[in-house]
Amino acid sequence: MPAALSISHLRKVYRRGTVAVDDLSMTIEEGDFFGFLGPNGAGKSTTIHCVTGIATVTSGTIEIFGIDAVKNYREARRLVGLSPQEFNVDQFATPRQIIDWMGGYFGMHAADRKRRSDMLIEQFDLTEHANKPFRELSGGLKRRVILCRALIHDPKLLILDEPTAGVDVELRRELWRYLQEINRAGKTILLTSHYLEEIERLCRTIAVVAKGNIVRNAPKAEFMAGGGLEQAYLTATGAEPDHIAGAAA
Amino acid sequence: MTTQEVSLPPMGINWIGLGTMIRREVSRIMRVPIQAFVAPWISALLFIFIFGFVLGGRIKEIGGHRYLEFVLPGILMMNIINAAFLQSTAQIYFQRFMRYIEETLVAPLSYVEMIVGMLFCTILRSVMTAIGILVIAACFGVHSLGNIGEFLFWVVAVSLIFGMLGLIIGLWAQNFEQLNSLNVFFIVPLSMVGGVFSTINMLPPYLRFLAYANPFFYWINGLRHAMIGFHEGPTGVGYALTLGLIVGLSLWLWRLFATGYGLRE
Repeated sequence: MPAALSISHLRKVYRRGTVAVDDLSMTIEEGDFFGFLGPNGAGKSTTIHCVTGIATVTSGTIEIFGIDAVKNYREARRLVGLSPQEFNVDQFATPRQIIDWMGGYFGMHAADRKRRSDMLIEQFDLTEHANKPFRELSGGLKRRVILCRALIHDPKLLILDEPTAGVDVELRRELWRYLQEINRAGKTILLTSHYLEEIERLCRTIAVVAKGNIVRNAPKAEFMAGGGLEQAYLTATGAEPDHIAGAAA
Repeated sequence: MTTQEVSLPPMGINWIGLGTMIRREVSRIMRVPIQAFVAPWISALLFIFIFGFVLGGRIKEIGGHRYLEFVLPGILMMNIINAAFLQSTAQIYFQRFMRYIEETLVAPLSYVEMIVGMLFCTILRSVMTAIGILVIAACFGVHSLGNIGEFLFWVVAVSLIFGMLGLIIGLWAQNFEQLNSLNVFFIVPLSMVGGVFSTINMLPPYLRFLAYANPFFYWINGLRHAMIGFHEGPTGVGYALTLGLIVGLSLWLWRLFATGYGLRE
């Protein structure tokens, strides 16, 4: 069975020469809940953008369920849903339009789009806001719309780039429950977050990226051994050297 | 919260995706009807009224046609060009500016589907603009639409050319100043001197080569021939130029989309 996501020797150099990702390789098995950690500017979002087609790949290969994400990009993209860090939507459109259009782009028939968007709007408690312009919504409501948009075509691989940034505690916990539920049902999830508690609670496998490369990739249990996730993360990223970490422990 | 499975149809041409692109852009256009339609209609109305009706009454017939009939194709072509260019630049630039172009980039849409979807909207807006101007002209007693097939060819072909040019400029532009540069320095001046208001014979002989070197002349001339049967210069040059530009710009645009120029990081 192919991995949900397999990245091999990925390199991304921006037009002005900045190397954002350098020889990054990682694999996410189907059904995993994968945490992708790293400091700001480490290359997490660039990696995600290369996987989803927002960025071009300089070199290396990306396979989504065994399908080459560059050569067979249309087939590969059908399997992925992305909730990006930024609100990349038409600010004048309504949540219902935004979600429906995304379903349309993915080739869903009108009846399927209606059924699925009604369900998501209800699940994410957006019913009373569904026909308001996106720009009039609060930060938390906007985040919910972005999540609904990512889920409309029921992707096999769900990529969440800081999905709970700016979200209140209630929604965060509700979202955690939902993500655990869909993961149990078989959906593979790649999650980036700066909230280590979130990664610790949800993920089974964790990778830490620093300066465009994976510096540690292991099951959560290995990260938790010793000083806990925060300590392991700081050590891996070089923010806290090993000997200090050891002394602290 | 509960989960629910959906099934996606097999991947061929993504007709639903293509239709969604068009549906979405039409909804954006309908949010700005004054800018999209009323402005060119009022502009055309003023041109028809002042140049065709007020001044035209004092000008003798040209090639057996009233002056209003003579200038109408030029006014129509100027507005078609303007509508096509503004539609395509606005469409792609605002998607880039607000970053919702990423919605189509992450979707299973091919480059060709993206280009076709955008150009379809361009043609739609141009045709709507043209219909409105024809209705205004009819109010002034001008009903000349001699050859509908030829008329549609020029409307669609010129819309395509300026739609593609607009997309290329929209991909290249980094700000609103750049977005308007082609329109200000190229499209408006060349269309105004492309034979909208006068025939080539009205120009001094030593300046006539400028008209023949102006591509806008051939498009206005072509549309004028389609509408009232009057034309100057060789019509074959106009067809060859138009088809050559469509092929060349199509290949250029496809290449830009395929490499992600202006679209992907």
